[in-house]
Amino acid sequence: MDALGTARVALVVAFTLLGLFFTFVSMTGVLRLPDVYSRAHTASQADTLGAGFGLAAVALAIGWEAAGVKSVLLLFFIFVTNPTAAHAIARAAFEEGTVPWTEGDERR
Amino acid sequence: MADTDAGSDATDGEATGDKAGDRDDPSDGAERGSPSAPTGGLVVPVEPTPTLRATIAYAVEAAIDDGFSTIHLVEIASWRDGDPGSDDRASAAERVLERAEAWANSDLDDSDDIDGERPAVTVATELIGADEYLFGPDDYVRVLAAYAEEHGADAVLLDPEYTPVGNTTLLQPLEFALSNTSLTVETAPVTRPTRRERLRSEATGKRFVAMFGFSLAFYLLLGDPLYWFDWVTGIATAAIVSITLSRVSIDVEPAVPRTPMRVLRGVIYVPVLLFEIVKANVEVARVILDPRLPIEPTMNRVRVIVGSGLPLMTIANSITLTPGTLTVRARDSDLYVHSLIPSARDGLFDGSLERWTRFVYYGRASARLPTPRERDDCAILQGPDATEELPIAAADGGESPADDEGDDSAVEPDDEDHEDQEAAEVTDA
Repeated sequence: MDALGTARVALVVAFTLLGLFFTFVSMTGVLRLPDVYSRAHTASQADTLGAGFGLAAVALAIGWEAAGVKSVLLLFFIFVTNPTAAHAIARAAFEEGTVPWTEGDERR
Repeated sequence: MADTDAGSDATDGEATGDKAGDRDDPSDGAERGSPSAPTGGLVVPVEPTPTLRATIAYAVEAAIDDGFSTIHLVEIASWRDGDPGSDDRASAAERVLERAEAWANSDLDDSDDIDGERPAVTVATELIGADEYLFGPDDYVRVLAAYAEEHGADAVLLDPEYTPVGNTTLLQPLEFALSNTSLTVETAPVTRPTRRERLRSEATGKRFVAMFGFSLAFYLLLGDPLYWFDWVTGIATAAIVSITLSRVSIDVEPAVPRTPMRVLRGVIYVPVLLFEIVKANVEVARVILDPRLPIEPTMNRVRVIVGSGLPLMTIANSITLTPGTLTVRARDSDLYVHSLIPSARDGLFDGSLERWTRFVYYGRASARLPTPRERDDCAILQGPDATEELPIAAADGGESPADDEGDDSAVEPDDEDHEDQEAAEVTDA
């Protein structure tokens, strides 16, 4: 394998690991954070950078082909739909009258 | 423009207009019959609609019958001074006002059959509301009511086709919001021209072409552009999509060079946003992985200066995409944003996303503006630094959200001053 191919494989591995890392952070956040609003922050993290790096790795591994282009498009749609979903959840909680957690409150 | 823009929903507009007329008639009749006829002014919001001519004629008649001293023809600006193209839109609005004024004056001249001379009714015109972005009917009514108060007018006559935003039927919510003021409201009982031609012009409009092209290009990108069958299914799909959605998805008529420039600036914005996302992600990851979990979540309010529709969606979505800030509620231009850590909140109050959004939609010159912090357009709603009440029905309270909202809009002007004052104090401290 030539140097360029090696660099590409290294980058694919790096992106995959970064994606895994941010997904892990997101999961930790969902478990540790105290209320629905703060969890919504970190849940969207899994989508933005977790899935983002994952799809970037896929696009890089596949290369300039139809499937690679589609994975970039997928990324675009995740970036449009993810905040919309997070907003919908938070707004629903807000309209239900859920007061956001502040320092000193109990975990919910 | 006027032809395609007025009244998106044919049957709906017709039904509401008639209903409103019926409902308003009895009260109006009673008032008209009373000896103490109003002596103030009659405000007529003006837009270039097909029924504008008839509405003006009716306004003149009503003014003579009810003894209004002045007919105020006002055009409410849906743009903000300083936007690119705002001068053109203002001068177009002035032309509409001039024409409406000429119609009103000629009607007044013609109506001398009572005692041989022109009735003592004057016609005034004005363009209002261009100093801010107006979002919903409440904003329009606020501007109208302020104008009416300033000029001693006590009644409003609505053109049944009046749709200041361009693509949505605003008449019914406008009537509703007006009913909360002391103004007398009436919808002019004028007949509308048939809508058949409008449907055709919709189908050939620029929005349709833009939507069709975009859908087809996307379909072929996913399919195979060299395979004839994908072209057939793609054209069919794109046609269905554009017929049903072109007026929903695209709220402003595409124009050259504005639209391509917006797309281009949007492309510049993408890497900026990606960088912000990565930066914020790292910060939030550090907080979450910290064993002490040093979070300080608060709810905040920030008033952004971007137009309604797509620009507002862009900024709200960008805020949510950036970890650490989450748009919870958008009430007109007030965004209620939950922040996880103080640094994310500071970033929000520094307004870099707002400036970038303005850059994408209005160009570089419009991107230079003071930060929300400098404008006092932001507030913390929770915690020790809170400067404002959390606009939430208390968990134990039985207040319905609907009531809450109604109250909010009614007391908004007072509330605002109060907020600004408090915010100012905090920045001083």
